[in-house]
Amino acid sequence: MSPQGQLLTVTSLTKVFGKVQAISDLSFKVQPGRVTGFLGPNGSGKTTTLRCLLGLVQPTSGSARVGEHEYRELSHPATVVGAALEASGFHPGRTARGHLQVITDAAALPAARADEVLALVGLTEAAGRKVGGFSLGMRQRLALAAALVGDPGVLILDEPANGLDPEGIAWLRSFLRARAQEGRTVLVSSHVLSEVQQTVDDVVIISKGRLVQTGTLDELTGTGISQVRVRTPNAEVLRLALTAVTNNGVETRVEIVSDNEILVVGIEAAQIGHIALREQVELHELTPIGNDLEALFLELTAGGNPGGAA
Amino acid sequence: MALVRSELRKVTTTKVLLWLTIATVAFSALNVVLLVFLTPRAMDLSTDVNFLLDPAYVTNILGAAGSSSIFILILGIIGMTGEYRHMTITSTFLVTPKRPRVLIAKGIAYALLGAALGLIAFASSFAVTLIALSREAHAPVDATIALQILGGVVLAFAIYAFVGVSVGALIRIQVAAVVGALVWVLIVEALITVFVDWIGKWLPGGALDAVLQTTNVTGRGGEDILPTAAGVIVLIGYAVLFGTLASLTTLRRDIT
Repeated sequence: MSPQGQLLTVTSLTKVFGKVQAISDLSFKVQPGRVTGFLGPNGSGKTTTLRCLLGLVQPTSGSARVGEHEYRELSHPATVVGAALEASGFHPGRTARGHLQVITDAAALPAARADEVLALVGLTEAAGRKVGGFSLGMRQRLALAAALVGDPGVLILDEPANGLDPEGIAWLRSFLRARAQEGRTVLVSSHVLSEVQQTVDDVVIISKGRLVQTGTLDELTGTGISQVRVRTPNAEVLRLALTAVTNNGVETRVEIVSDNEILVVGIEAAQIGHIALREQVELHELTPIGNDLEALFLELTAGGNPGGAA
Repeated sequence: MALVRSELRKVTTTKVLLWLTIATVAFSALNVVLLVFLTPRAMDLSTDVNFLLDPAYVTNILGAAGSSSIFILILGIIGMTGEYRHMTITSTFLVTPKRPRVLIAKGIAYALLGAALGLIAFASSFAVTLIALSREAHAPVDATIALQILGGVVLAFAIYAFVGVSVGALIRIQVAAVVGALVWVLIVEALITVFVDWIGKWLPGGALDAVLQTTNVTGRGGEDILPTAAGVIVLIGYAVLFGTLASLTTLRRDIT
């Protein structure tokens, strides 16, 4: 039996640091049994929100609860919530095993648990090495191992994919999915939607410390707007044909990029190809740009503070 | 107990303890050597007295370990401020969100370390003393007094380490805490004691001397020093005072 996840409830959370309003009246819930992406640009208040949830930062007003309780009221927090906040927070002279055993000691868990979680995150061979020599990816894995030590029902991970190689990211995805399927609560923050898009069931999007959108990923995708880059020698002909398209109220738009390139907003690539065939327009390129969700995400969070402190 | 064990694990998995143990032992031994070989000879030039024949002076040599107390204070300060410096305080407070518990556990753990270091410092300096004195004419070494001084050093170092932890909790910036403590111990308290002599025995260093039962460090004695028991209470009082102040202020701050 895996430990049961808990509902995370953030209610009217507000945090002011000096003159900076980091979070403003933020409310959302995170359901157990699902992976929730906590998204927003750098400096949007993600980390501060997570730290409020974890009792590290005292909210100015409002509350953040794990199940029925504030984190600080938990008697054995390590067995309820596992958190990986940043890839720092290690003593450089301490070994990976030493770092974890400091935690198992304090949480009254068996010291052997350290090696178990190191094996789980693939750090067995580095167990006896000093953390000071670890790469960012290894530190991320160690931070995750620390979160898992108490086999908690709730996982809260801040930007866990940072510094991981593609293989590591793929592993993390399947790992988090599996934990959610066991009924645990998994909350993962990221400033890049595409990074977590394949992993998450639900999203909570914030910008400038305020809630922008919350719901399932499917709901969000429903509101997604497609963007397709088209290169053709007959740009003007295709533009006229596409402009005539009405897609059940979805806003469509055709922007001329250059003589032989247009950007089509709101019409799927397949439909553009179909119209091009009908109009007998030669196509040189038909590329859905990046990700329609990413575009939506950028639009939703526009006006954030890129480069600001997270 | 789990928390105390965790704190002991923290300090034994890094190098700080090793270096400060070496410093404590070396400084104590150096003090013995100075007291046995250098000071009496320097004095001999002007007077004709052999200090080593004076039982009080031999007692003074036995208390040499107490002179390394500053390293114990620094050990406690680094133990607490190091958590902020390396941001391990995040994982510490995640496991133990009721923060004063961390402070108390750390204080107890460092008191145990302080006691152990007191024993090591005394044992090593006692060995050096016996070796050094074996080549000189000297007053006899009194075993009862030696044991009494041993007890004083162990107790003083234990409490002083706890004081260090409390000071570190109050002043979270490591450099500021260490430099502040050094300036206080070496300059400020010495100056206060010189100008307002009745207050000296109530200050941390004065209380420490009372517990150490030696006038070796500051040359205080007689009326200028508290009885041992009072010294113990005053010194514990400072640990509790700084710890309580920290719990009400710096320990509550956001960990960002």
